[in-house]
Amino acid sequence: MILAEDVHMRFRSGLLRRQVKALNGLSLEVHEGDFFALVGQNGAGKSTAMYCLLGMLKPTSGKVRVMGQTPEPGSPLYQTLGYLPEEPHYHLYLTVEEATRYYASLYGKRISDRTINETLDRLGLAQFKHLRLAKCSKGMKQKVGIAQCLLHETRLLFLDEPTRGLDPLAVRDFRETLREIHLRGTTIVMNSHVLSEIEMLANRVAIIDRGKVVVQDELSNLLTLNKELYSVTFEANGTVPDYVSCVERVGSLAKGNIPRDKLYDFMEFTRSCGVPLHECSLKKNSLEDSFFNIIKGEGSLA
Amino acid sequence: MTSMANGIWSNGFGTERVEKRREGSVLELLKANMLAHFAYYRRSRLLQAFLLVFLLMTGMNSLPPLFYDSGVENFNTLQATYASLNWFLLFFAGGLSLFIISSHLRNRSLKMVFTKPCSPALWLGSTFLSAITVSLLLNVVIFASAMSLSLIWHLPVRTALLFISLDTFIASVAIIAYLMLLTTLVHPAIAATLALIFNASLFYDAQFWAESVVRSGNPNLFLRVLDRLFQVLYLLAPMVHAFDNKTEGIYTSLRVAHGDWKYILYSLGYTSVLSVFCYLLALFALLRKQHT
Repeated sequence: MILAEDVHMRFRSGLLRRQVKALNGLSLEVHEGDFFALVGQNGAGKSTAMYCLLGMLKPTSGKVRVMGQTPEPGSPLYQTLGYLPEEPHYHLYLTVEEATRYYASLYGKRISDRTINETLDRLGLAQFKHLRLAKCSKGMKQKVGIAQCLLHETRLLFLDEPTRGLDPLAVRDFRETLREIHLRGTTIVMNSHVLSEIEMLANRVAIIDRGKVVVQDELSNLLTLNKELYSVTFEANGTVPDYVSCVERVGSLAKGNIPRDKLYDFMEFTRSCGVPLHECSLKKNSLEDSFFNIIKGEGSLA
Repeated sequence: MTSMANGIWSNGFGTERVEKRREGSVLELLKANMLAHFAYYRRSRLLQAFLLVFLLMTGMNSLPPLFYDSGVENFNTLQATYASLNWFLLFFAGGLSLFIISSHLRNRSLKMVFTKPCSPALWLGSTFLSAITVSLLLNVVIFASAMSLSLIWHLPVRTALLFISLDTFIASVAIIAYLMLLTTLVHPAIAATLALIFNASLFYDAQFWAESVVRSGNPNLFLRVLDRLFQVLYLLAPMVHAFDNKTEGIYTSLRVAHGDWKYILYSLGYTSVLSVFCYLLALFALLRKQHT
């Protein structure tokens, strides 16, 4: 569906200014039907990567192919593409309804009033449809952006920080909507800082650091990271074995992690010392743990 | 994948039907963009303020003479009011082009357009057409007002009014095209300065001055270079009224000779070439910009 190979993107804001490398050999592949998440720190190059995939930025070097074509601004390729920008740079002089209708009509097809009203109603925008975007809150503008993505059956949807500015209820509804769209077969590429959200939605993740994809894998692989730990909670009156890591003490209780190969040693320790064991469960690293480990260079994928 | 993406145009359609669908789609896109632009013009506070100030000024100057009861006064009033309204139209037409393009570029809202199947060429064309449409509408209103006054005052100047109206409309198209180009190239303030000050008439006057100094016997080489430079700049700078030395008499006397109509056609030809040139250059500049 999407293929980016060794993409470099350099910016120079002025003639005499220093060149900034936004992308530094970025390569990634998105398969049809993926819910693909781009994760990275601020300034890692996520948005630049998305702009390159969208064809809004022409890479300094490298190749980008979307559905077998090189994306160009306004090309017929966009007939099956949807895009929700990070910043609400919309047509502020239009009302909510006018903007939704305008963006929908840019696909060259007529959209019925009923469809537009239903979409606005679904997003809770019906009562604000005559309000100009200039007077709308950031969240409302974001919902207009979501509305224009929902009005068309798209094969590929680009979402740049989609839940930014949305209230918690809207976030949950939007998440459900995304799941529905994905289940209908739409490939989704999403940029987000909210790792818990990515954990709930994505099936594949690329971690970008300094303009380069450092890890690209199935989310399930990133969550385990090949080193399963056991999370243990026990009464620690005396010494704590040195293989118990990340120990947190709350009164006499101690919480920590033990590697799988030390499980039997730990059991022996609790039995021989008569230490009451309250909890022992398999610990899987969250995406946040994996992200932190990869970015800090503390972990790597097999 | 390629075939699926291309399939939008080809699945289940013959070549003719695909072409028809494309045309229909282009017209739909043009209509959608133009409607959005009209909404911008309706709601732009700057344009509204400009319109209001000018109409107030014109009204204050024109209203008292309307109550005079003399044929000569009536003629002078009509001539002066019509001239000032047409000048206003030219400024306003430039404003239409300047504001709509600069506003979209500065708001960065074009990424919402270009990430849809709407090409920059089509969007730019729609801004040009929408500005021309508004200019035409205002032109018709001004012409109708002048015609009404000429009918009320029994002044036989209707042919000249039509001539001036057509000439002004063509000039407004040239201004729209020129400012469209300048706004895509430079900051709107610089674009306005270039259009208002550094235009063909300035270079013509400058060249006239340099040439007269050289002819008066000043042997300075720098002046000779300046003379040549101003001449080149005068030839390069777009002209609003390309044949104003031939038609300026019509503006003052409100009389048109039979042979004067050819200048409308000449102006139309010049403006068409200028518009195409400005459009293509503006499109090139728009494509070079980053819409992120």
